[in-house]
Amino acid sequence: MKKFLYDNGSVVVLVLLCLYYAIATVDTIYPVGPAAGRQLARQLVAAYGDSTEVMVVVGESASEREFAEAVRSELESSGAAVHVLLADKPATVRQGLVEFASGRQKMDAIATHHAGMQWGPLQADRLQALASEVPALRDVKVHEPRSYRWPTFFTQANLINVINQNSAIFIIAIGMTMVIICAGIDLSVGSLVALAAVVVAIVAEKVSAGQPVSTPAMLLCCAAGVLMCALWGMGSGIVSTYFRVPAFIVTLAIMSMARGLAFTLAGSPEGISIDSAFLTELGTGRTMGIPNPILVMIVLYSASHIFMTRTRFGRYIYAVGGNPEAARLSGVPVKGILVMVYAAGGALTGLAGVIETARFESGDPKLGEGFELQVIAAVVVGGTSLFGGEGRIVGTLVGALIIAVIDNGLNMAGVDSYAQMIVFGLLILAAALLEQLKKYAWKRMSAK
Amino acid sequence: MRKLSLLLMGLVAVLCCRPETTTNTATSTTTSSAATSNPAPDITPATESKGTIGFSALTLTNPFFKIIAENLTKEAKKHGYDVIVNDADRDVNKQAKHIDNYIAQKVTAIVINPADRVTIGPAVKKANDAGIPVFTNDLQCVAEGVKISGHIGTDNYQGGKLAGEAMIEALGENGGKVLILHFKQANSCVLRVDGFMEVIDAYNEGRESGKIEIVATLDGGGLRDEGYAATADALQAHELDAVFAINDPSALGAWTALNEAQKADKVVIIGFDGQLEGKQAIKEGKIYADPIQFPAQMGQVTAQNIIKYLDGEEFAEVELIPTELYRKADAENDPELQ
Repeated sequence: MKKFLYDNGSVVVLVLLCLYYAIATVDTIYPVGPAAGRQLARQLVAAYGDSTEVMVVVGESASEREFAEAVRSELESSGAAVHVLLADKPATVRQGLVEFASGRQKMDAIATHHAGMQWGPLQADRLQALASEVPALRDVKVHEPRSYRWPTFFTQANLINVINQNSAIFIIAIGMTMVIICAGIDLSVGSLVALAAVVVAIVAEKVSAGQPVSTPAMLLCCAAGVLMCALWGMGSGIVSTYFRVPAFIVTLAIMSMARGLAFTLAGSPEGISIDSAFLTELGTGRTMGIPNPILVMIVLYSASHIFMTRTRFGRYIYAVGGNPEAARLSGVPVKGILVMVYAAGGALTGLAGVIETARFESGDPKLGEGFELQVIAAVVVGGTSLFGGEGRIVGTLVGALIIAVIDNGLNMAGVDSYAQMIVFGLLILAAALLEQLKKYAWKRMSAK
Repeated sequence: MRKLSLLLMGLVAVLCCRPETTTNTATSTTTSSAATSNPAPDITPATESKGTIGFSALTLTNPFFKIIAENLTKEAKKHGYDVIVNDADRDVNKQAKHIDNYIAQKVTAIVINPADRVTIGPAVKKANDAGIPVFTNDLQCVAEGVKISGHIGTDNYQGGKLAGEAMIEALGENGGKVLILHFKQANSCVLRVDGFMEVIDAYNEGRESGKIEIVATLDGGGLRDEGYAATADALQAHELDAVFAINDPSALGAWTALNEAQKADKVVIIGFDGQLEGKQAIKEGKIYADPIQFPAQMGQVTAQNIIKYLDGEEFAEVELIPTELYRKADAENDPELQ
């Protein structure tokens, strides 16, 4: 048990954070969806009996349609008469009510969701005023599904959000973990995301000539973006290993060059839209209910974990980071490994750029601003040593989750945005400190 | 490997958990229409919060957006709505995250100052799909296929024209050499400079002498330090008579550079915005005049439009507030500066 705690200090931090947010974000939830619809229908049957006449009034979105459909099927199965009104905005509700109710004798109830309870045409006084015109609306009552208390942080939609909206950070963090295990650093990742996005968009613009881009063509565009970032990564690797310029400076220079190049290529600071079904599916589509960026991320994490723990190259990376001289003497191609690691980091960054391009359906030269700091924070909080030789992909996954959860939870808890910066910094510091303390304690424990 | 698979399993478990299924077990005391206990319930009592509005501001380090946020919050509160304010920090990625969060929180309405008028499109579309109305203020969204329920901003083109008129007024019949401190990234600033140029071009037409000549257009970043650096550079190359800066911070940066070069009393500055520090500078004679905007009104009207939208009332879907020229005489009578 103790050993588990020491090995997984960051997991404990993550769990504690989640528990904290679970308490801090408890709020009233007003459900919209099939379950809420069925519940409301049962409520109406209990109140008005089986042969009631009900009108469902909601908006046009998918979840609202599902809600309305659930109310309808549940009520109709118990013999009630149901009419569904889908309004594109509250202003059209009144007309819909009049059209439906004018030919009728009596209507018992209007079913809507919590948002609908605020709509002007459904307010009691307005309905009464309308009743002089349409008698059926006299005494009609408006009902919404029952609400409940639940942490807004712990909803399926939000937990998916936390990972999905940070998937680019998660993916770049894999490459950064390898780079940092080699005792290196890569500050250029944020700019490379932007450069990849712009390159993908420009190539797509060239091949499409105003038409939607076909899937094979789009794949080639994406490959171009990834390849180019891999080359930039390889460049930083070569300059920092063969010319012995510190990686910090090399990648700082590339950070500036890549950002400038992205703006220059784009020709304006605005995003270049891409019309591609494949890209839209990659960025916003879901497979088995899971957003595609998360699936890509899961595949990459599994593959890189196996690569780092089960392959010779993976072990070489640790050896190079731990003690390059010893590694060289044991026959490890130190320089080659270093260049390869930077290139891999670049390629992963390019892939993250493609994901971001897909998410926004455009190549925007402003993307990825400040990513480098978030990624490095995630890697270090995940237990990877900046001195090299130490670190795990799983640790990085947890570290990135911690960063993502802190960020999201602060928003969900409604913390003021200035205070957020302070709290964010403090929490990262605390997580990193805990990681250090854990190591210290572990050493003392094993020394005894 | 086992740990990884555990984690991944946890991840999948998280993705599969459906809090909606708890609807029936979690009983509630706050529901406004507890129809099970009362077959003919009353409509929601007014004391309870009617809902939440999410506002993702472009940047809260610029007082302009802070004023919008404060007034939006105050006005919404009057009508029973809470407002969450988030700082997008000019980052479309952050703004998209905010919108995702608002959707997860099921807010009543979303307000944004788009961090990029095209790239923010897919995020707005998601809100559209979730049935949440999206409003913009100050900056407009031009992405294709998205529905914006209402916009209110400044008539920047008209403001630019006013700035041009102020420039002509300040330089008199002699004309002169002008530096423009631009911020091309913001479409609002492009409109300002376009309006400015229309008036200046009309003035110059058919004129032999006393023309107003634009000798340089530099990026002032809309910021004090960048405006300072750009003006200092321009002073090396040109004998300037006037500066038009697209907002107050860059105008004040220009003043610092002119002051250092001991040219502050010879060179006229026209700013834009009418922020408090800008108005103060006009009072002190550092800036000649500003076309002023009305951020407080933007915040209030946005909140009112949301209420009107929910009420099913009519309102202007796009409303541009004209700017007004603010000179030294106005500053001296301004109660805000007393």
